[in-house]
Amino acid sequence: MKWITARRRHPLAGYVVVILALALFGVGYAALAPTADQAQARTLAADVSSQDDADVDVAEGRAIFDQTCATCHNYDGSGTETGPDLRDVGPAAIDFQVSTGRMPSMNPNAQMPRKDMVMSEQELANLIAYYNAEIRSGEAGAEIPTDVPDHAPDRESFPSPLRSDFEDEESYEEALEEAENEYQAALEAYEAEYDAYIAGADNTDMGMKLYLTNCAHCHSWSGGGGALTDGRWAPEIHDASPREIYEAMVSGPGAMPMFSDTVIEPDEKQELISYVKTLQTEPNAGGPIDLQRVGQVAEGFISWTIGLALIVACAIWITAKQRAHD
Amino acid sequence: MSKTTQAPKALRGVGNFIDDRFHLAKTGEKNLRKVFPNHWSFMLGEIALYSFIILLVTGVFLTLWFKPSMAEIVYDGSYERLQGVPMSEAYASTLFIDFDVRGGFLVRQIHHWAALIFLASLVVHMLRVFFTGAFRKPREINWLIGVGIFSIAIVEGLFGYSLPDDLPSGMGVRILQGVILSLPLVGTYISMFLFGGEFPGEEIITRLYMLHILLLPALLLALIVAHFMILWHQKHTQYPGIGHTDKTVVGTPMFPAFAVKAGGFFFFTFAVTAGLSAFVQVNPIHLFGPFTPTSITSGLQPDWYMGFLEGSLRIFPNTLDFDIFGYAVPVAVLIPGLGVMGLLFGALGAWPFIEQWITGDKRAHNVADRPRNAPVRTGLGVAGITAYGILWLAGSNDILSETFSINLYLTTYIFRVLIIVGPVVGFIITKRICLGLQRRDRETLEHGYESGVIQQLPSGEFIEVHRESSDETVEILSSKPTITSTALDETVDEKGVESPQARKGMGKLRRRLALWYTRDNVTVSDVQAHSGHHLHHSHSAEESDKEPAH
Repeated sequence: MKWITARRRHPLAGYVVVILALALFGVGYAALAPTADQAQARTLAADVSSQDDADVDVAEGRAIFDQTCATCHNYDGSGTETGPDLRDVGPAAIDFQVSTGRMPSMNPNAQMPRKDMVMSEQELANLIAYYNAEIRSGEAGAEIPTDVPDHAPDRESFPSPLRSDFEDEESYEEALEEAENEYQAALEAYEAEYDAYIAGADNTDMGMKLYLTNCAHCHSWSGGGGALTDGRWAPEIHDASPREIYEAMVSGPGAMPMFSDTVIEPDEKQELISYVKTLQTEPNAGGPIDLQRVGQVAEGFISWTIGLALIVACAIWITAKQRAHD
Repeated sequence: MSKTTQAPKALRGVGNFIDDRFHLAKTGEKNLRKVFPNHWSFMLGEIALYSFIILLVTGVFLTLWFKPSMAEIVYDGSYERLQGVPMSEAYASTLFIDFDVRGGFLVRQIHHWAALIFLASLVVHMLRVFFTGAFRKPREINWLIGVGIFSIAIVEGLFGYSLPDDLPSGMGVRILQGVILSLPLVGTYISMFLFGGEFPGEEIITRLYMLHILLLPALLLALIVAHFMILWHQKHTQYPGIGHTDKTVVGTPMFPAFAVKAGGFFFFTFAVTAGLSAFVQVNPIHLFGPFTPTSITSGLQPDWYMGFLEGSLRIFPNTLDFDIFGYAVPVAVLIPGLGVMGLLFGALGAWPFIEQWITGDKRAHNVADRPRNAPVRTGLGVAGITAYGILWLAGSNDILSETFSINLYLTTYIFRVLIIVGPVVGFIITKRICLGLQRRDRETLEHGYESGVIQQLPSGEFIEVHRESSDETVEILSSKPTITSTALDETVDEKGVESPQARKGMGKLRRRLALWYTRDNVTVSDVQAHSGHHLHHSHSAEESDKEPAH
């Protein structure tokens, strides 16, 4: 305490206390405040349904729709004041909005950021089956591009066997191993599909021109996103799966224009998606610190705060050391 | 006194040979004994000099492989992602430097970081000169040369940024062309001549290359040499202190002490630049891809030193454009693009002469001002920094908007208000702070400094004991110049006739400016050091025998 007593009347003491207090509040808030992820975790009940796309339950889809969508989009999907008409948007739009966690929206007046999906894959499949059966008007809107790879299989959808279901240790471990192998096989299959899709594009020039002409002026050259007018923003697309990028193009969510398969053909979309995904996985050739690939603003900031500051500090150091007769 | 020793015989022979012919010994000795004042802020210009040397050396390295050609080729180099992509030879050769030349990537990054630091050090050096009044007579010419170096360096940087022909290069050149086109009457012609036709044409890289590696560096080098020679002749300014006068310079001799420091400082500058280049990625052209006229992206800015022009372009309203005889006059590009740059360099270049005109001060000044002792100048400097900083921030408004989740249009309006209000507020606050510091200086001179010792008098009163300041402090504080102006002298002669100059408009303006420039200043000319009543107060008590008598 003596250390503090001696310094508490230092001219800078007040500032130090204020900075410490601010830091304490800031860190404390960041640590304690509920984030979207945690809120997510609570709503995500233990959903362990079998992973079989053919096995859809339209009735359950209806239940989900009535519970989570109808408040804004009405029970027949015709829309209300807070939510648009869904009858013509097509299943690709539904899949995009729900799988990127943007729907169901917590605040219909604000642009939704990307989040984890609130329902399971099976529930989404049921929902889309119900949408196609009851709400969609005819063949309106784009179909889900099922041949484009989506996200890697989720570990949680491959449940580990429970010990209590087995008589002895040996059979339990066998089942455990089997479940693990099943997951690994699915993962490998997905990766092969992903690589085949990305590598299937062999015209970098076309992908680059399409991306830089149509996408980069909002999502930026690196896919890092950018500001738009009227308080909206173009999200970064690093986390988006190829299928989500495809669906965004064919459904035109939010302020984004629609790029249907007649405007940019499916193989051109493949080139485009391959271009941006390959670019994102590029290593940083110029050094380990990439400044978020924001570019010149960050570089200018670093050149002043680190580059020049270090050199000036050195100038102060070498001129402070001088002999008495200098 | 050190013992005089003789040089080894071999060296003596060579030395005598040279000296017999060129008589260098005397000049050499004189110049080696040149003294440099010891303060870190005098080293800021050296950072610029060293960065420039780094730029020259790395630049020469890069020219060995760079091909300034816009001829289209299909890339088949070792960077796999872009294989098969048609691109200009300039871009392909930059990729070659990055991926095939040993150390090429590092050298290119050193070149770029050194450029960013070069410009930054020019700015801080210039601010130091401005705030200490070191631009005053006899150094006005050197100040103008400095402004010239700064403006050429900005253009040099822009051209260098344009050479690799990657995505940001092309967008930068496009903005350059837009600004050129906005010139009334001659704009389209200049653009056609510069680009050899329509944008982007096939000439621009070649031409910018010539300007970037030949003409502009030569101009910069010439100006830097002139700057340095004038400095050598006129010597540094120095901060007030004992023995520091307008006639005598106090400092470290060039040889050996200062030379060692300066040499070490070069290596440190180089180390920081190289360290940044090794760890922090700058301008990753291989990620951007080649420029095509259809490509456009958000989230790209010019390098920082062009940021203020980008900002002024972004926030200037476009409602003032007009047509004359069917020809468009794009005010919204002309004023922020060229007007702001002209204003910046015009104001910088003109200020020493404006200040001289206001004060009528024709004396030579070799002792630098403390910024607080020239409150109006310091305030104007801060107002300038504020305006520059706001425009600079406005140049990154899309990044700010996205990073801090602020409405993009709102940032534009915020910056429009700030660019008017900010400098005024900056001026007022700075001037007040300066005057407050002046008052504190006067008080310190009168009373000494507060020792932190509290004493209780027999009457029960508590006082804080003031101690005498050191001689150095007294010297510094009491040497504060009183700012006056000849414009405020009596303008009516003994026969009651007002002088014709003072009656005219310019005379009145000058008088008003002089009043604004000089009033509010705290004078110390009537103060005797340590004559303040507080000091006597403490001495009036019995403790006076504990205090040094004076």
